[in-house]
Amino acid sequence: MSALLEAIGIGKTYPGGVVANDGVNLSVNAGEVHAVVGENGAGKSTLMKILFGIEHADRGELRLDGKVVSFANPREAINSGIGMVFQHFSLVPSFSVYENVVLGSEPHAGIRFDRQKAIAAVRALSEKFRLSVDPLPPVGQLPVGQQQRVEILKALYRDARILILDEPTAVLAPQEVEELFVAVRALVEQGRTVIFIAHKLPEVLEISDRITVMRGGKTVGQVAARDVTEQSLATMMVGREVALRVDRASNDGAMACEIKALKVKSESGALLVDDLNLRVHAGEIVGLVGVEGNGQSELLEAIAGLRPIADGVAYLDGTSLSPLSVLERRARGLASIPEDRIARGLASGSSVAENLVATRLDDPRYVRNGLLDLKAIKANAEKLIERFSIRVGGPGAAVSTLSGGNMQKVVVARELSEQPRLLLVNQPTRGVDLGATQFIWKSLTQARDAGAAVLLSSADLSELLALSDRLVVFYRGRIVAAFLNSDTLTPETLGTYMLGIASQTPEEMQGGLR
Amino acid sequence: MSMTTQAELSRRDRLKTIRREAGRALGAALIALGIAFIIVLFTSKAPLEAFNVLLTAPMSRPRTIGLWIDDVAKLTITGLAFSLVFQARQFSMGVQGQVYVGALAAAYVALSPIGATWAGLPVGVFCAMLAGAFWGFIPGIAKVKFGANEIVSSLMLNYIAIELCNFLVRTNLPKPQPGVLTTNNFPETAVFPPLVDGTRIDLGLIFALVAVLAVWFALYRTSWGLKLRLVGHNANFAEYAGIRSTAIMVSAMTAAGALGGLLGSMFVQGQTYGYLTVLFEGNLAFEGILVAIVARSRPLAVPVVALFYGYLRQGAQLMNLRTDVPSEVIGVVTAIIILLVASSFSMPGRQFWARIMGRSAAAPALEAQK
Repeated sequence: MSALLEAIGIGKTYPGGVVANDGVNLSVNAGEVHAVVGENGAGKSTLMKILFGIEHADRGELRLDGKVVSFANPREAINSGIGMVFQHFSLVPSFSVYENVVLGSEPHAGIRFDRQKAIAAVRALSEKFRLSVDPLPPVGQLPVGQQQRVEILKALYRDARILILDEPTAVLAPQEVEELFVAVRALVEQGRTVIFIAHKLPEVLEISDRITVMRGGKTVGQVAARDVTEQSLATMMVGREVALRVDRASNDGAMACEIKALKVKSESGALLVDDLNLRVHAGEIVGLVGVEGNGQSELLEAIAGLRPIADGVAYLDGTSLSPLSVLERRARGLASIPEDRIARGLASGSSVAENLVATRLDDPRYVRNGLLDLKAIKANAEKLIERFSIRVGGPGAAVSTLSGGNMQKVVVARELSEQPRLLLVNQPTRGVDLGATQFIWKSLTQARDAGAAVLLSSADLSELLALSDRLVVFYRGRIVAAFLNSDTLTPETLGTYMLGIASQTPEEMQGGLR
Repeated sequence: MSMTTQAELSRRDRLKTIRREAGRALGAALIALGIAFIIVLFTSKAPLEAFNVLLTAPMSRPRTIGLWIDDVAKLTITGLAFSLVFQARQFSMGVQGQVYVGALAAAYVALSPIGATWAGLPVGVFCAMLAGAFWGFIPGIAKVKFGANEIVSSLMLNYIAIELCNFLVRTNLPKPQPGVLTTNNFPETAVFPPLVDGTRIDLGLIFALVAVLAVWFALYRTSWGLKLRLVGHNANFAEYAGIRSTAIMVSAMTAAGALGGLLGSMFVQGQTYGYLTVLFEGNLAFEGILVAIVARSRPLAVPVVALFYGYLRQGAQLMNLRTDVPSEVIGVVTAIIILLVASSFSMPGRQFWARIMGRSAAAPALEAQK
């Protein structure tokens, strides 16, 4: 059987000399789910952009149905039957589902936009491919999983034979991932072909038929999913053995942080965190589980001092945090790795060295009499760059020139450069490659072993299960379940509590709350 | 990679950036001049002569060189004031107003008994800076306390300052004769001594050079400057890091205001005037925006840009006086420079041509395959 879509010897060098693709080969058969895996910066996205006509290869050729093709822009790719769903959706939030789907190729009755025909077309498509979405409500009101379906429908409406999904599961809850996979299987049954970009390996193994592994801009190999394990795939991706497990805390220390009847409100007065009680001990990681938007982030922000506490108290080593400024909290040993490194965790236009001291501008080691000690700042940066193996040209390089994983390492390096008492961590490895993820996990557990109390929130359940010693599940600002972590705890169990389908009784929670 | 080579690399990187930026600014100036030449061709009966005046007149006589350098000093100060607020990502447009209140303060000091003593000059400059700082502080505090947009409030304060100056010159300040719109000449002790006799080059040039170093030092060597730049890059991050970004914003606007006030005193206490009159600054204050944008808000680049821009400005004024080309042509030139620099244009180089050639080469190739 000859391949439906082939890329042969693709090379792409970006202006500035970054070699994104260097002799990449990809061969996708009709009617299969083909996964492309690799670390961030391995060149997956560039390859997909070339397939979709957004970027143009410097070398190599693309073949579709055995014929050489070249797409000058996405429109030509779409016309040849290729569709792509990006990680960041391109939808108009105020438009309805069906309007978004047909936008750009609307059915017409005379010169009028034929709405009924559009709605009918969208209904038919969503039935055929088991992508159930109501065509009528505005897209902005839908949850992320549904929005993704709208994106897929958009591509199918344009008759995509080959559908490229760029990290589709990154934004989804476990149950939504299952539904996506049902749709993907339906697509394949109907003869469509799916190219699936990912770096969560269990999902890749579950959904794909064949896997192309990329590393450092090259294809490392192509394997059948049934022939590999998670471990062997990870080794192929990283090029060395990878430990995907971390050790649990061996001992628990004294209570470090106590949260009592805490309430946090939004600017409009809605309760985001409702009557929350939680204790965190030195030397343990407590995982905050929950679908995004159920109060985990807001709790962390309130403790960090970025949001007012409406009611209740948060103690750190017996001191109430509410009256303290951000700097005073940091002086007492609070450190925080924020959810969005670019929006909150870094000043990306500033240099790495400046970012690494930004939280310590009243520290006499770096600032005396209002004057910067540039030597000390540079030495600090060099030390941390080395200790956290940040890949950067030098301390003076702007943070914006770094890759996502290295940017996150800058944040982690700054927050862990001194041993914290209480460490708040939100999405530590979002959009970070496997190598950096492994490093960040190790850094977090080292901080824990050195006596930090850690509150960890993450959208990635496998991360929470890998790192946490205890887990508490948030639903609508309340804790609805609490667990001691063990190998028997599964994402599915957590999922039922995350979605509010079940909740524990106070007695059941006792064990996990301590 | 060892640290020494890293340092070497980052130094080379910096040089490369400077070269690239300077090349861009120069390229923009050349393109704009080319367009100016075309316009002059159409508007002048003797285009070559007019263009010659534009390019060479400022250098022709010591007097014109003096006019040019005096402008450079003033453009440098206003450019620094705008650089300071731009680096904190505040868009306060208040330099013009600060110039007027600064000039008023300087005039009151100069025309008071203090003005006739040795203290007339320094106290005048100091009070001008104080008044300007206060005028810069108002939009800052209004933004922090009441959420007032600093662009609107600073622009409004400009009008208030201009009219206040107008009013006080007409009614309150001593005049040589009723009905004129100028005050008495300041006593000699309150006027900047010239550095070169017979030109307008005076103490203001020294102030400008000192200000360049002071602003550079404040921005890159003090913790206040680092905080200011961090706030400018990402205010959310600054808040998260425990930097009180509101205090930084207000202080940046206040410091820029002091520079605006200094500029006011440089006008009225300088060799140009030596007295206060209405509408004395001729919109120079606003041209600091252009200088700051082209200099990318870098204090050390500001005087260099001011040197080039001041030359063009002086050439345009002389062209207006000596030939039949209206000085508005230069308005077009400066607008083109801003457009080219602000839009981060790059010289159409290899890539551009490669793309054009690539497109046209690829199209027939595609045809051939069908």
